[in-house]
Amino acid sequence: MFLTRSEYDRGVNTFSPEGRLFQVEYAIEAIKLGSTTIGIKTPEGVIIAVEKRVQSPLLESSSIEKIMEIDSHLGCAMSGLIADARTMIDHARVTAQNHSFTYDEKIKVESVTQAVCDLALRFGESVHDEDAMMSRPFGVALLIAGVDELGPQLFHTDPSGTFVRYNAKAIGSGSEAAQAELQDKWHSKMTLQEAQILTLRVLKQVMEEKLDHNNVQVAQVTPTKGFEILDETKLKSVIDLM
Amino acid sequence: MNSFADRFAITGPIAELRKAQANVEDDEFSDAAWGSEAGFGSLAKGIPTFTVPNVPDPSSFLRLHTDDHADPNCRIKIQHGTTTLAFRFQGGVIVAVDSRATAGSYVASGTVKKVIEINPYLLGTMAGGAADCQFWETYLGMHCRLHELRNRERISVSAASKYLSNLVYSYKGMGLSMGTMICGWDKTGPAVFYVDSDGTRLKGDLFSVGSGSTFAYGVLDQGYRWDLSDEEAQELGRRSIYAAGHRDAFSGNTCNLYHVKEDGWRFIGNYDLSQMHYEGPSGTGYGYDIRVEGRSSADAPPATAA
Amino acid sequence: MPDMVSLDRAGPQQRQFNPYSDNGGTILAIAGADFSVIAGDTRQSEGYNIQTRYAPKVFKLTDKAVLAVNGFAADGNMFVKRVRQRLEWYRHAHAKDMPLRAIARLIQTMLYGRRFFPYYVYNILGGIEEDGSGAVYSFDPVGSYERESCRAAGAAQSLVQPFLDNQIYFKNQTAAPGTTHPKHLPLQEVLSLVIDSFTSATERHIEASVGDGLEMYVVLARGSQLQGLENVPNVQEMTTTSDGERIFIIRRELKKD
Repeated sequence: MFLTRSEYDRGVNTFSPEGRLFQVEYAIEAIKLGSTTIGIKTPEGVIIAVEKRVQSPLLESSSIEKIMEIDSHLGCAMSGLIADARTMIDHARVTAQNHSFTYDEKIKVESVTQAVCDLALRFGESVHDEDAMMSRPFGVALLIAGVDELGPQLFHTDPSGTFVRYNAKAIGSGSEAAQAELQDKWHSKMTLQEAQILTLRVLKQVMEEKLDHNNVQVAQVTPTKGFEILDETKLKSVIDLM
Repeated sequence: MNSFADRFAITGPIAELRKAQANVEDDEFSDAAWGSEAGFGSLAKGIPTFTVPNVPDPSSFLRLHTDDHADPNCRIKIQHGTTTLAFRFQGGVIVAVDSRATAGSYVASGTVKKVIEINPYLLGTMAGGAADCQFWETYLGMHCRLHELRNRERISVSAASKYLSNLVYSYKGMGLSMGTMICGWDKTGPAVFYVDSDGTRLKGDLFSVGSGSTFAYGVLDQGYRWDLSDEEAQELGRRSIYAAGHRDAFSGNTCNLYHVKEDGWRFIGNYDLSQMHYEGPSGTGYGYDIRVEGRSSADAPPATAA
Repeated sequence: MPDMVSLDRAGPQQRQFNPYSDNGGTILAIAGADFSVIAGDTRQSEGYNIQTRYAPKVFKLTDKAVLAVNGFAADGNMFVKRVRQRLEWYRHAHAKDMPLRAIARLIQTMLYGRRFFPYYVYNILGGIEEDGSGAVYSFDPVGSYERESCRAAGAAQSLVQPFLDNQIYFKNQTAAPGTTHPKHLPLQEVLSLVIDSFTSATERHIEASVGDGLEMYVVLARGSQLQGLENVPNVQEMTTTSDGERIFIIRRELKKD
């Protein structure tokens, strides 16, 4: 793919003669270095799970934050450059709050995803006389999970600003194997618990370390309780069921 | 140093707003509103932008057309008039308000919600301009939620009230009118802060705001103790609003009562003031004429035996 | 130097920027259990001078929302135009019609955006909520708002509102022993109250600011019956589908003097 490396991969605002934006493609590659992240949609809600790479025994695993709340009905899991994601998630949060301020209703999952993706293309030269927000594309992919009037939904966004809705999606280093497994196991009538177990099983297959409650994080968004990160006891009980 | 002075100068926001108007030519939306951000883009920068008339002194323009104290015949009548109160006690915070809104000498509404539910732990009260309180306290609610998401911790009542106070201070001299109490429960326990559009922010145990506040204070000060029971405290709040509704023409209709405890606020009830006058809490009315029935000097003198 | 003298005589001069005018008229809305009626007269006047006998003050926004605007007609027309623009943008951004309570909040933010240069308009928004109930929202010129069962605004507000308080909220009426006042009135009764409100206001208002024509919009909740609406003279349906909320308009004449 990158054998035709050329001058065209230096700038973010120049297409190559074949019609490609290399910096954006490289940013998408950066995701594949990230830890594996999985999302599954069921009729009862959406599950998102991430692998936390605990590189050192001295590292406090609770300080790794790869699943974040956007609003009470929206959650987000990420893979890639986590620092970049924080900018995007703050934008998503502000957008969600502005929406509820202006319209007195919860923002739709697709709308908040669209807002995040608008930001993804705000790199390079500035529009009009505004300041550009970034000099390069974001190096992070997000799984945005949420519940709105259309029911539970799961969206995937990438650094090109593209977003697609999925029933189940894996991103990050183990994504290829994980996606194949999800394709095999996902069905439309899954219960929430089946989905919890499936995310962990798939993570377990692609993780190098042995999976336990310290090196994974699971969250769910349900119509009744909204976004919640599974606490240690809940996570342990799911791991035991596995 | 100059920028510091500019920031706090009275003319600061006016200049800012003029600039905003110059940028946005014929309406209040930025280009972002055309994209998928559809409107909320213009808010994403923080404080919403306002349209200001292109006259040398925008605030006197506003006063000319809206201030019904200075000119009862002004065209745009903004809703006014109120009694609100809040106090801290052993069992939390009691918030009690009336529900009358007046525009000039007309009762514009008798069903106004003067307690603004900022979030499940914070209440704000409404005195002064109804729109100013409603808008900015809802806006405050949005920022409290963002604080919660960013810091994974609820905002303190002190911080929330200071946010509001700084916000309205930045519009000082432009004609905002609000006198509000921000009430809630945080790590420090029950808390009440008074914030107004002059920029005053006071921490305290007991406040009453509005045209009927003097009447409410009379009852409130007399009955207030730290160790009131929940029922006593709620009754004191109700009784004080009744007194204000009875003596102040700009207050009345009904009383809305809230109680803030450790797990957030609870709406206690809506009480009709005239019903309280005749029936009171336990069948005996609050009304003076009810209590002296048959012995009032207004009654005909009893027939005395010759 | 004669011109110097005349300058002295002129004394101090003061000019004011006064972009506002009052164009009279009255608007009114009443919410039922599964419907909402929004009405307004069609006269536009300035002082005692009638500018036109047909200038609508009530506007259909969506299939479930109707907005009545009273005060300064130029501000009102511009405001409705901008609300419609925002509704269109919202539809493109979120792929649905804006719910009624969302429109209400939007109107607040739009009015408040002009806090320092207000629209001289009193708005009443009527329609059907997401839960299928009839609703009325009323606004002051700078955006404070409240959901109510009924509201009158405009020139004859102080004539009509006390009548509605008595007839809709049953204020100062005691129910007959063993009975209670109904929470909502049926559509036919509401329509008669609206007509009576306007004919009476036309008779008693001293300025030439209420009269000529009456436009009543009826918004029906999804799946609700016509409730006798089909037999009302001069009724016209404004919606094209009958599977969602439906809007009807009833036009009547009012006195022209």
